[in-house]
Amino acid sequence: MDSSDKVVAVIMVGGPTKGTRFRPLSFNTPKPLFPLAGQPMVHHPISACKRIPNLAQIYLVGFHEEREFALYVSSISNELKLPVRYLKEDKPHGSAGGLYYFRDIIMEDSPSHIFLLNCDVCCSFPLSSMLDAHIKYGGMGTMLVIKVSAEFANQFGELVADPDTHELLHYTEKPETFVSDLINCGVYIFTPDIFAAIEDVSINREGRANLRRLSSFEALQSATRTLPKDFVRLDQDILSPLAGKKKLYTYETNDFWEQIKTPGLSLRCSELYLAQFRHTSPHLLASGDGIKNATIVGDAYIHPSAKVHPSAKIGPNVSISANVRVGAGVRLISCIILDDVEIKENAVVINSIVGWKSSLGRWSRVQADGDYNAKLGITILGEGVAVEDELVVVNSIVLPHKILNVSVQDEIIL
Amino acid sequence: MKALILVGGFGTRLRPLTLSVPKPLVDFANKPMILHQIEALKATGVTEVVLAINYQPEVMLNFLKDFEAKLGITISCSQETEPLGTAGPLALARDKLIDDSGEPFFVLNSDVISEYPLKEMIEFHKSHGGEASIMVTKVDEPSKYGVVVMEETTGQVEKFVEKPKLFVGNKINAGIYLLNPSVLDRIELRPTSIEKEVFPKIAAEKKLYAMVLPGFWMDIGQPRDYITGLRLYLDSLRKKSSSKLASGSNIVGNVIVDETAKIGEGCLIGPDVAIGPGCVVESGVRLSRCTVMRGVRIKKHACISSSIIGWHSTVGQWARVENMTILGEDVHVCDEIYSNGGVVLPHKEIKSNILKPEIVM
Repeated sequence: MDSSDKVVAVIMVGGPTKGTRFRPLSFNTPKPLFPLAGQPMVHHPISACKRIPNLAQIYLVGFHEEREFALYVSSISNELKLPVRYLKEDKPHGSAGGLYYFRDIIMEDSPSHIFLLNCDVCCSFPLSSMLDAHIKYGGMGTMLVIKVSAEFANQFGELVADPDTHELLHYTEKPETFVSDLINCGVYIFTPDIFAAIEDVSINREGRANLRRLSSFEALQSATRTLPKDFVRLDQDILSPLAGKKKLYTYETNDFWEQIKTPGLSLRCSELYLAQFRHTSPHLLASGDGIKNATIVGDAYIHPSAKVHPSAKIGPNVSISANVRVGAGVRLISCIILDDVEIKENAVVINSIVGWKSSLGRWSRVQADGDYNAKLGITILGEGVAVEDELVVVNSIVLPHKILNVSVQDEIIL
Repeated sequence: MKALILVGGFGTRLRPLTLSVPKPLVDFANKPMILHQIEALKATGVTEVVLAINYQPEVMLNFLKDFEAKLGITISCSQETEPLGTAGPLALARDKLIDDSGEPFFVLNSDVISEYPLKEMIEFHKSHGGEASIMVTKVDEPSKYGVVVMEETTGQVEKFVEKPKLFVGNKINAGIYLLNPSVLDRIELRPTSIEKEVFPKIAAEKKLYAMVLPGFWMDIGQPRDYITGLRLYLDSLRKKSSSKLASGSNIVGNVIVDETAKIGEGCLIGPDVAIGPGCVVESGVRLSRCTVMRGVRIKKHACISSSIIGWHSTVGQWARVENMTILGEDVHVCDEIYSNGGVVLPHKEIKSNILKPEIVM
């Protein structure tokens, strides 16, 4: 790569129909803006992109309303001194289709390489070393991969790579039987040749649809079965067919990786990002000894506008958002406290997410077992939930604007 | 005057507290249960108390030695070697109960807590001239108990009906009796029931009278009733001698706090709480409807409701203990732990949450 070559990054942020598993937290905030370690989810890949040399632009591609991202995009552009732009798809095009849809804009600066990142993955994004490896391999694309335990691998794209050349030999999305314990992390780097590859899929699909128009019955069938020609998935339509053709390569990470599927996992990911802050942004981590500021245990983020009483004890793994008020003698462990929440004296929150503008009464207790993968393993309070004094909420999900006046356990409160 | 207190068995229903001390020595409102009865007897003029007991008499006597001197009352034990029911122990203690005076003697059930209107009972006994008096109390669900059917104006008892299916009355035997010595002649030394075998015979001769107990009554033989009993007891204390109750901005409702207990800042205590001698309640603690026994430490910001904290236990910072949690002696609940109805045997450390009522061995 020439030192004058530019690179751009594209972050796929999805749309409102995609975040259903993230309810009740996705009701009023687009999932990509949900805070992890006190920063919007999409902020973490953006920060990682900022560390790539010669990065010219970051594009966020999705089908959320533009106004939902307008404020964030302008503030982050200013903060990083780097143009960040939101590109709204008119409809879902799939991850490769979305990239292709905006090919003219993305290629405006004639970048030599394009990073493609999924917003809903949580990892250390080792983008610079990935770029070095990609240039060494000399292929069209390189994907970030990670080894996971065999029992969980089938929830993701499983792949086989050549141990010496790192070439992608085989790729299959969410297989029924075990293929490999190497999985796709959803982070890629491509040369502009990717656009031609996506176009081929589109053209082939159109041709196949024409060829198959044999009977009116089959035409009817295929109309529902065949995807529209401008919907192109990266995994099934690009990675699977191009595997073993010396075009795609893999770069394995030994760092952390999670897909942020559910609110429960967001708490886990918040923990991972807080731990990463120790190396990347230690100034974001709170400290205190209980004299002037609250006692801090382990990693915690506290927004500068939050008011935390010095007799409170915070951490590990706690993120406190803007304008939160934490009263005297409050204990917070492994939790995300969203904007404008009030937590009154001596309340306890453990393994929970407390939604915007909620209030927790004195000596109330909101907790869960902390099993990130269980349906009710993390207690979630939606926006504007009130928990009265001395009540206990355990392993429950409470939808927005409920007033709890009795204790609950193992329940979803509609 | 003399009195017999039926102490009975192992107190299994009040475990794990009775794994550490015999049931009569379990504290209730900062005082061993049996002292409530002994003090009431002393106040009525009783000079000699016999405890009918079937295990650990030496533990009882050792403990009560101090009180014998302090109260100026003689306490002795009559030990059953086999269970004798509710009447047999009277026959066994016959020699201790009979003297030359010919005065009637009290029989009290040690499980029961009430206002003990014993002076009124003596008056009642004298006035009817019968052989035996029993105290009865009104209950909401008489079908669960033995109902005493009596003539309302004189109190003369007609009969006893055990767990009646049809309503025959709502007064039940409160377990407090005043008996002439002649009653002892009716009891053989064998396992026998006073309610089923002795009283019905006296009633048939129209020599048994019942007095309705004024005020509260509670059988506190099991934890739930123990906690309810404390509420009733403290209500009664409020009416009779409210100066014994704690007051202050951090107190809600009826609370008793031993003078040697220490309470920190920002606490909210009550209603219906008893805090025993030497307890330390640190700052920001919430206590309601609970008993905290001698030597307990409740650490900062903990919250306890509807529970009993046994002797010398500790409850950690930000711990939550509720819903009929019973901690035996010397149990330690670690910081930030939640116990929902945990029943914990003595000398245990609780390091993980108890989310549903369960017994921790």
